[in-house]
Amino acid sequence: MRSFTLIAVVLLALVVSFISALAIGAADLSFYQVLLSIIGMNEHSGQFAHSIVWQLRMPRSILAFIAGSGLAMAGLILQTITRNPLADPYLFGISSGASFGVVVAMTMAGIGLGFYLSFAAFVGSLLAIGLLLLISGFSRQQQVESMLLAGVALSFLFSSFTSLMLYWSDPQAVTAILFWTLGSFSRAQWDLLWFPCLVVLSCLAFMFAKQRQLNAILLGDEGAVTLGVNVNKLRVIMLLLSSLLTASIVALCGGIGFVGLMIPHIVRFFIGQGSRKSLVVTALVGGIFMLWVDIASRVILDNQELPIGIITAAVGSLFFLTLLYVRKQKSVI
Amino acid sequence: MCKRSELLVSTTNKINHPLLSVSNLSWYAGNTQILSDISFQVPVGSFTGMLGPNGAGKSSLLRCLYRYISPENGQITFNNQDIRSLSNQEFARNVAVVLQHTPQQFNLSVFDVVALGLIPHKTMFSNNSKDDLALIKTAIEQVGLSDKTQVDFETLSGGEKQRVMIARAIVQRPQLLLMDEPTSHLDVKYQIQIMELAKSLGITIIASFHDINLASALCDQLLVLKKGNLQAVGQPKEVITEVMLSNVFDVCTKVSQHPQHHAPHVTYFYGYNSSDRAANQGDDK
Repeated sequence: MRSFTLIAVVLLALVVSFISALAIGAADLSFYQVLLSIIGMNEHSGQFAHSIVWQLRMPRSILAFIAGSGLAMAGLILQTITRNPLADPYLFGISSGASFGVVVAMTMAGIGLGFYLSFAAFVGSLLAIGLLLLISGFSRQQQVESMLLAGVALSFLFSSFTSLMLYWSDPQAVTAILFWTLGSFSRAQWDLLWFPCLVVLSCLAFMFAKQRQLNAILLGDEGAVTLGVNVNKLRVIMLLLSSLLTASIVALCGGIGFVGLMIPHIVRFFIGQGSRKSLVVTALVGGIFMLWVDIASRVILDNQELPIGIITAAVGSLFFLTLLYVRKQKSVI
Repeated sequence: MCKRSELLVSTTNKINHPLLSVSNLSWYAGNTQILSDISFQVPVGSFTGMLGPNGAGKSSLLRCLYRYISPENGQITFNNQDIRSLSNQEFARNVAVVLQHTPQQFNLSVFDVVALGLIPHKTMFSNNSKDDLALIKTAIEQVGLSDKTQVDFETLSGGEKQRVMIARAIVQRPQLLLMDEPTSHLDVKYQIQIMELAKSLGITIIASFHDINLASALCDQLLVLKKGNLQAVGQPKEVITEVMLSNVFDVCTKVSQHPQHHAPHVTYFYGYNSSDRAANQGDDK
């Protein structure tokens, strides 16, 4: 029952992480206070704790969790359909497209914050993915290669547009954009959460349904075709889903790199990729990781929030290098 | 009694209704004609081998048969039905394919890879039933890899990988198994082992071969291809001749009878290829 233990450990970690995320912050609450707030027992006696938990930290933590799971799933999808261990949402120009959308919104329409900025990011990433599909989606042979190359090219193209617009805009906009690209969960609001939640859950359901076919793609396009899988169609659908995932998250949280690339690899160290439970574990581990990143971003500096992107990249790469080292040691023995 | 009548039916089927029938098939890659006007039939339960030098069109012909590419001209029928009229899933339930090599991939276990054979038999959200699990277990036993069920597919040797792919084909439960040079870059022992294992399944098989002697030993029927043309079709003893080997493969040989299975056995002579010899002498200087 090793896999049962693994799931149990991950679920336990999830509960502990979530409660910690609600408790730790500028105003520290005790676990007891948090629990009371969750079940609504201190609505009158502990108003302060109750409103911190329900109005600030709960939506923020849910967004962090959803963002982590969604990006991890998007990475897993892209690594699977391209059979490329380095694939992640950022390689395909999805996030450069989003940044471009944000820059256009800020500099040309003068939009500063809120829903419209998210919408601009969303449109930008869809534009990038639309172009990618136009270029590579319909080629039957070598679909993977043309997707990867076109993705990298588009990513640079959008970055150059973004830089060009920044070059012409005022320093204030430059700072705002920089902070946006580094990522933050401070924009979390209850009424914006439903969309990314819906996208993440639908994607998980779709991946559950197509899990056998996705495994088949890992063993090569030709082999998958002989098993009756419509490889090209499935790949385009999965690419669209992963862009939808990334776009809906990036729109709310800004650019958060490295999670999509790293989490699927970390999960693969511990559990084979072939089963449906590895999908769930990948999504959960991504979410848990992001909860702790968010906690770190709130406590590392006094009275100030560190951007999420800095922490994910730093912690993620160190952790990843450690795992690589450990695995090397193991294989030597 | 029942068995006997079934036997009779299947023999008549063998003669009247081939499982697979190819007529006047041609295929072009761009403007280059790769396969021209190929026709042959594959009887139920037979083992058909495909021979031919590199670039003769063996892989292309097999790809036409498993619908990875579609021929410009000609018809392929399976059980008297045009293969284009079958849905992807229907086709995959009847025809399984073992390819030459599999790309490097992430960490699927042997079990996961064999379970892929269930794909054509499963609907979207269905889990593996008890029967499915038993089928997978038996298939892995049949190829002798029971002790490696949970091992990473990637860590297996070439021969073991091909055995896993055969187990996957067993789980797919096809009527026809197509194999594209499944034993190239394997040791001799595994070349024999893999092909004998495939033959032991008792289903109809079409496989391309590099080793003429192996094909001669195992096949009921041989197809010989050269530059996209079908040069010869027939039993090994009809097809494998010194003249054919010289024409198609450009080698000098002596064909004798194998002491064990009495099919033709090819012995190669060396130093007879004029162009090669000239090149070698050039190297010496």
